[in-house]
Amino acid sequence: GPARSAQHSLYFKNAEGKYISPFHDIPLFAASEEDKEIPAKRSKINGSEVVFNMVIEVPRWTNAKMEIATKEPLNPIKQDIKKGKLRYVANIFPHKGYIWNYGALPQTWEDPNHTDNSTGCCGDNDPIDVCEIGSKVRSSGEIVQVKVLGVLALIDEGETDWKIIAIGMDDPEAEKIHDIDDVRKHKPGYLEATVDWFRLYKVPDGKPENQFAFNGEFKDKEFAIEIIKSTHEYWKALLHKKADGGAIKCTNVLVCGSPFCCSEEDARLIVQSAPPPVNGDPISTEVDTWHFLNK
Amino acid sequence: MVVEVPRWTNAKMEIATKDPLNPIKQDVKKGKLRYVANVFPYKGYIWNYGAVPQTWEDPGHKDENTGCCGDNDPIDVCEIGSKVCSRGEVISVKVLGTLALIDEGETDWKIIVINVEDPEAAKYNNIDDVRRMKPGYLEATIDWFRRYKVPDGKPENQFAFNEEFKDKDFAIKVIKSTHEYWKALVTKKTDGGEINCTNATVSDSPFCCTQECAKATVEAVPPCGVANPIPPEVDKWFYYQRN
Repeated sequence: GPARSAQHSLYFKNAEGKYISPFHDIPLFAASEEDKEIPAKRSKINGSEVVFNMVIEVPRWTNAKMEIATKEPLNPIKQDIKKGKLRYVANIFPHKGYIWNYGALPQTWEDPNHTDNSTGCCGDNDPIDVCEIGSKVRSSGEIVQVKVLGVLALIDEGETDWKIIAIGMDDPEAEKIHDIDDVRKHKPGYLEATVDWFRLYKVPDGKPENQFAFNGEFKDKEFAIEIIKSTHEYWKALLHKKADGGAIKCTNVLVCGSPFCCSEEDARLIVQSAPPPVNGDPISTEVDTWHFLNK
Repeated sequence: MVVEVPRWTNAKMEIATKDPLNPIKQDVKKGKLRYVANVFPYKGYIWNYGAVPQTWEDPGHKDENTGCCGDNDPIDVCEIGSKVCSRGEVISVKVLGTLALIDEGETDWKIIVINVEDPEAAKYNNIDDVRRMKPGYLEATIDWFRRYKVPDGKPENQFAFNEEFKDKDFAIKVIKSTHEYWKALVTKKTDGGEINCTNATVSDSPFCCTQECAKATVEAVPPCGVANPIPPEVDKWFYYQRN
C-alpha cells in the first residue's frame, strides 16, 4: 500500500487475546516438528531441524524502515525516525528496497557491553536480525516459523550486526534448502547481492560503506545457531536484570521470573495509553529514487 | 509518452489496440491476467514502461535493421527518470536512444527516454549520458529484455546491432517512421487487421467519431468490479544463469 505519513504503532496480542511484547513474549524456538502432526524430516546429518520464530518487520521490496521499538513498553513495531523524519531505506541499483523479508528473532539481544570475538565490535543493542529468503512477500508484524541456513557478520557503523539467513518452513523450496550452500545452488547471486546490499545501503545517506568480518563470507547453519544461542543468553540476562539494558524496555507478560513481568491488565493499559499516531510530512518522491553507486 | 506500467510493478498493462478508444487494460494470456516475472535481481519492470502515441510497428513491413516484421503495436518506451509514474499518466519525454529487441521473432524497438520533469533531465541529452550517470542501467535493460519471458517457458530474446544502443538521432528516425506507418493506418491506406482506429480528433481519418459516439462507447463497457488481490505467485523471484 502507499507509504504512511504518520508513525503508527503495531502492538501484538497472543492467541488468548493478551497484549504481548514481540521482543520478549514470543518464544525464540518454535514448536518442533514432533509437536505438529507432520512427520519429522530427517536431515542428512541427524534428527529434525531446529525451527525458530521470526518477527517480520519489513516486507521484501518495501522501503519503510519498520522496527521493533526496543525502547517503548511492549515494543510495538514502528517506523524508525531519524532527524525528525520517517526513515526509508534507499533503493541501491539494481535493488528495490529490501531484497528479503527482514526482521528479528524474538528473545535475542546483541549486548553492547560485549565485544564479539569474531567481529571485534560491540553488539548493536537490538534483537538479532534475519533475512528471510523465501518466495512469499510477508507482512509487517507477521510471525513466521523459519529454519536457519547461515549468517553474515556485518559491521554496521562499527557495531556487530549479525544477519541470519533463513527460510520460512512453509516455503515451497524449504524441503530442498537446508544450509548455506543450498542457497548458493538454488538462488545463484542472492548471497552476493546480500553482501552488496548491506555494504552500500547507507551510502546514499552520506555514510561510508559497511564492512564485514570473515571477509564477507557466510558462515554455515551450525555457526549461525551458536550465534543465536549466545544472543538468547544475553537476552535472558537482560530480562533477569543481570545485564544493563539502558533505555531498553523489558516489560513483558509471559517471562516467568522476570522482574519486568507485568499483568495482562497493565499491558492493556500500556497499549491504551500509547500516544496516537502523529501526522508527519507527506512522503517525498525521493523514496523512489534509484541510487547508482560506482562499485 | 503514455505510461502503461509503473516501474517496479508486474501487471502487464497495455493500450488495448483492438478495443474502441483503446483503453489501458491488463493483458490476458490463456484466460489469465498477465504479470511479468521477477527475474533476479530485478523486481517487475525496471523503468516506467509505455508507448509513444500515434506510432505503429507495421507487421506488413520488414524492418531493414532487424530483418523482422513489426509487432503490430505502438512503439515501446522505457522511461528512466526517478519518479515512479502512474498507469495512464501522459508525460513529456526527451528521447535519448533506442535498443533493437527482436521479441519472439518480431521487431520491437525500445526507445530510451527521460521525463522532462525529472530533476536531472537537463543533464540527459543522449544515450552516453545514461551510461555515465546511471552505470549498469543500460546493461540491466538488455539483460531484462533478454530474459523476461524465460520463466514463461519462452527462449531468450535476441537483439539487432550486436545488442548496442543506438543514439538519439537514430531513435528519432525510428519514431518518425513508425509515425508514418500510423498515419497510413489511421487514414486507411494500410490495413490494420483487428486494430481499432476509432479516434475523436484525427480530422482526416475515416475512423474519426463524434464525442457522443465516443461517450457511448465508454458507457457501454461493463462497470468496474472489485479488484482481486495480486496472486502470491507474482512475487516469486526466478533465478537462473544466462545461457
